[in-house]
Amino acid sequence: DEEFNELCFEFGLELDEITSEKDIISKEKGEEKAKGASDTVLYKIDVPANRYDLLCLEGLVRGLQVFKERINLPRYEKIIPAQGEGQRLIITEETVQVRPHAVAAVLRNINFTKERYDSFIDLQEKLHQNICRRRALVAIGTHDLDTISGPFTFTAKAPSEIKFKPLNQSQEYTASQIMDLYRTDSHLRHYLHLIENKPLYPVIYDSNGVVLSMPPIINGDHTKISVNTRNVFVECTGTDITKAKIVLDIIVTMFSEYCEKPFSVEAAEVVYPNGKTHIYPELAYRKEKVKPELINKKIGISETPSSLAKLLTRMCLKSHVTGNGNNIEIEIPPTRADIIHACDIVEDAAIAYGYNNIQMTIPKTYTIANQLPLNKLTELLRLDLAAAGFTEALTFALCSQEDIADKLGMDISATKAVRIANPKTAEFQVARTTLLPGLLKTIAANRKMPLPLKLFEISDIVVKDPNTDVGARNYRHFCAVYYNKSPGFEIIHGLLDRVMQLLEVPPNEENGYTIKATEGSAFFPGRCAEIFAKGQSIGKLGVLHPDVITKFELTMPCSALEINIEPFV
Amino acid sequence: FTEMPTDNFVESSFWNFDALFQPQQHPARDQHDTFFLQDPAEAPELPAGYTAKVKKVHSQGGYGSQGYKYEWRLEEARRNLLRTHTTSASARVLYQLARQEKFSPVKYFSIDRVFRNESLDATHLAEFHQVEGVVADRGLTLGHLMGTLRQFFTKLGITQLRFKPAYNPYTEPSMEVFSYHKGLKKWVEVGNSGVFRP
Repeated sequence: DEEFNELCFEFGLELDEITSEKDIISKEKGEEKAKGASDTVLYKIDVPANRYDLLCLEGLVRGLQVFKERINLPRYEKIIPAQGEGQRLIITEETVQVRPHAVAAVLRNINFTKERYDSFIDLQEKLHQNICRRRALVAIGTHDLDTISGPFTFTAKAPSEIKFKPLNQSQEYTASQIMDLYRTDSHLRHYLHLIENKPLYPVIYDSNGVVLSMPPIINGDHTKISVNTRNVFVECTGTDITKAKIVLDIIVTMFSEYCEKPFSVEAAEVVYPNGKTHIYPELAYRKEKVKPELINKKIGISETPSSLAKLLTRMCLKSHVTGNGNNIEIEIPPTRADIIHACDIVEDAAIAYGYNNIQMTIPKTYTIANQLPLNKLTELLRLDLAAAGFTEALTFALCSQEDIADKLGMDISATKAVRIANPKTAEFQVARTTLLPGLLKTIAANRKMPLPLKLFEISDIVVKDPNTDVGARNYRHFCAVYYNKSPGFEIIHGLLDRVMQLLEVPPNEENGYTIKATEGSAFFPGRCAEIFAKGQSIGKLGVLHPDVITKFELTMPCSALEINIEPFV
Repeated sequence: FTEMPTDNFVESSFWNFDALFQPQQHPARDQHDTFFLQDPAEAPELPAGYTAKVKKVHSQGGYGSQGYKYEWRLEEARRNLLRTHTTSASARVLYQLARQEKFSPVKYFSIDRVFRNESLDATHLAEFHQVEGVVADRGLTLGHLMGTLRQFFTKLGITQLRFKPAYNPYTEPSMEVFSYHKGLKKWVEVGNSGVFRP
């Protein structure tokens, strides 16, 4: 186990959990239900999101064995059948409206066992979830070729005209009935919306009118594959042709291992509405040339070109030295669709070398460090406010609509708040426009603490602003609250004076700060003042209105102060 | 290391994802992981010339890359969201650096809040803080990155480090940094890093 963990770590995989079927059921349903479940050890492995070739056991084992130099990377071959003998998939023009692209291939004389069969189905599901974006971009269908006969037609028809027996059902249904049938199915109902409201649904027929599938929902029962299937017709339909090609390549390269002629795939011809034809799978092998100096430089190692070529070959990128020994030619197999730039090749070389074998060095870059003035001011104020006897709080920037509007006696439209489109709970509906609710909620959660409670926070609030490039901006606010048996307006006022003193702003009207009595919806009438400095209003202070206090579930009087500190940077 | 300006929680998909080579069909851009905004829903302004370059690299490739080869849509890039990582601020800063007349090496850092649309539990919050560092210079290597990280973590008192290959859409090579936690008696992930893609 330790060894395997090490290997995964080096290769770039995460061994998440070592468990067994019995353990899984125990955890989810209790030990009783787990009796009789398999005890064989299961490894849960996390695969990086861009390595589609490692999503199934076959690919994973192949990759690791090449990495450990136990086997050579297999060469995937495309066999083009003699003229007229290959399978053909004809695409009609109706599909353009709903699911324009399709690719196909054949796995000839394949040998399935229960494990391989399960793995085959599993890979399709994983690809559906990953690169196919839950079947929206590409949908995979695999069919028993011996139950059908080509040429096949991929077309689109009105729902009422499509009728067939879906997989594992006992009778025929029309497409509209199928939609209703699977509306409650926990697995398939998520895909119904992909075609539900279109006028035509995609469907694949064979030459006798037998339905292979109605992508992306479900295959026909007639063509379902089993452990005894010998010839498989694979088709991928979708809205993204690049991804459809990658998906097809992955499936056939992975499972052609079990064909009678290992790693060989029989090609199929796709005919487009305009008459053009294309042979699939592409199984393209791309050649890239990379200079060994580049690889060495980027990683910080110095390996000879031939050892670099060996490292890359271990990562399934067959390479050899060319030129006068100053160039490396790399062949990128169809399983490595994630290699799109020389830097991807550099990373693979580094992985093969072993990240932890690279010498760590410090860059010789000389730079002068600077603190952002706004943050510097915030840090300085923080220390002095704590010295004044106030405790700092750090609260959430997202809150509910009531928090910044109704509970403070204001209307939400007056707040210019930024609104979230998809909050998971009501607590995260808007971004805060004031720090006050956060502090009041903090007090509410700490009512048992001894009085007085003196809290402050210096943090960002968010408001809409049409002048910025995104339409909103942050302001750095400072807010303090004093919660006690008596409201303590004089204490909050004193704190304001102290802050102004620290900011070196004199208490006069021309070049300093003043306060003027005003009304505020959150404040007690006659106990509220607006603070002016640097020619603008920067905030308010006062005793909070009893309504506000009650709405935040507090019971004692409270005074508060909130100002924008950005003008003082 | 100089501090980067990060005082904008609201970011456009362009700076948060597209400029960082994260494809528009990537799961992280889904409703599930990102807080998209209802109001303001779209960013009014995006840098025109740069946007055209980003579009080309995603859909056709460029700078030595094959690209993703899909249809890149401007409306998708305009969608506003609450930033999911402070790397969007790094992207802005690097863009400014690129527009300077003469290149000067820089080291930037930031520590600020990010937002992810996740349910709260013992190890996950919807809002949390990230520490981010960027070094830009000629001739930097993976070894330099590892060295810098080692020094950084040593100052935090974390000395046992191992590096694991990882994947980020915008860095290649990428590494996750693991440290041995004596209390839990196992290696835990303490950071993520990488060399920005050309």
